[in-house]
Amino acid sequence: MAAGRDERASVRAAQRGSASGIEALFRLHWPRAYRAAFLVVHDAAAAEDIAQEAFLAAVRNLDRFDRGRPFGPWLHRIVVNRAIDWTRARRLRGEAELLDMVAAPEQPGSLDGSLLGALAALPPEHRAVIVLRHLLEYTPGEIAELLGLPRGTVNSRLRRGLDSLKEHV
Amino acid sequence: MRKDLERIGIPGEHEARERSWSVVRAAYAQREPQPRRRSWKPVAAVALALVVVAGLLSPPGRAVLDELREVVGVETAQPALFSLPAPGRLLVTADSGAWVVEEDGSKRRLGNYREASWSPFGRFIVATRQNELVALTPDGEVRWSLARPGVRFPRWGGTDTDTRIAYLSNGELRVVGGDGKGDRLLDSRPAERAPLWRTGSAHVLIYQRRDGSIRVVDVDTGAQLERKVPETFLSRVDLRLANNLLGAGNFAQPVRSPDDRWLAVGWPEADQLVFVRVTGGRQLRAVANLSEQFRSRSFPTINGWCCAP
Repeated sequence: MAAGRDERASVRAAQRGSASGIEALFRLHWPRAYRAAFLVVHDAAAAEDIAQEAFLAAVRNLDRFDRGRPFGPWLHRIVVNRAIDWTRARRLRGEAELLDMVAAPEQPGSLDGSLLGALAALPPEHRAVIVLRHLLEYTPGEIAELLGLPRGTVNSRLRRGLDSLKEHV
Repeated sequence: MRKDLERIGIPGEHEARERSWSVVRAAYAQREPQPRRRSWKPVAAVALALVVVAGLLSPPGRAVLDELREVVGVETAQPALFSLPAPGRLLVTADSGAWVVEEDGSKRRLGNYREASWSPFGRFIVATRQNELVALTPDGEVRWSLARPGVRFPRWGGTDTDTRIAYLSNGELRVVGGDGKGDRLLDSRPAERAPLWRTGSAHVLIYQRRDGSIRVVDVDTGAQLERKVPETFLSRVDLRLANNLLGAGNFAQPVRSPDDRWLAVGWPEADQLVFVRVTGGRQLRAVANLSEQFRSRSFPTINGWCCAP
């Protein structure tokens, strides 16, 4: 509740021209936006571009932003949809296999490597649903709304994704 | 599981955050705050007041202002885009991506594209992402894509058998064949403005340079041609027409129906799309809640109205 109030205050401040308002929004939301993008695209540079573009879109549309709505879901929808699109495009272009640009795990077979590898084996649309549910903690209904999918599709992607990942969590 | 996902190491995360913050901060510093979207109520009140005054003044004045009241949408604006008033399909871009609207009002989202433009006969669409130029069918099937940085203003021109696409990439004007081949630089200092193909030509392109000069060139030979620059490039004739028909307002650049009888005019402050019949007797149709219909926070852009399928 307090976080929601703080966020609304930051949006209001940013709309009024306060740089501290936009910085507060950035510091609050960028880490999870970037992580969400990375977990879908598995490419640090692309994740940086995607999260940055989402914030630039926020700046462009700041004056029209409805302060009655939370900022996070709006940003996350942009991030996740762009991440899915980017991954599809890369697949179409036949670029390098996933994980090429992921740093080597600290230890072979560590949690990072195995979970990331298992995530990479999922289609990007499934990864996005897993990230929205388990990193950003949206409900299946909210995910359906964010991605424009039927709720049944979200549930089935969650089930299949978790089946694939359960050995690693 | 959340903890597991949060523990995954991402190389260079701190540096990425600071790089992004410097870009976002600069963009924020350059932004020009705009007034928030106006509520309908004061606009409607002014319109209705004008109607009353006009009614007292003269019958013609009343007729004009009745139409204004109609456009304002207090009584008759459609709540959704149920159909187009003329054959063809609309191409719309919004925060949610690019959309095709069929004549019966049904909508199809093509994907997460930022800008889009029809091919000359409406068989294809050229669309952009930040670093990608994509050709696709109106059904959303990608035919080819080209990785280029900072892609903007794609415009597809040509004949039935020979087409080219002009676009800006990182501030440079480039041209590529309609099949995605033969991409090349045309001008390294164009203005940040959409180029325009001469109607029916895949060779003659009209564009502005950063120094303000306007060039008409044969893109195959690079030769500058001495031809009259179309007024549509120099001045927004359709926007002037819309202003004449609707009254002064901050309208978006209109698009013409394929049969040239209608203009589709975006009205961002009202969040409406207004169809104005420009030949054969004036008619107006307003459609409300445009942003919501395209799942967009900002007002959607009407990119073109092309060609009955």
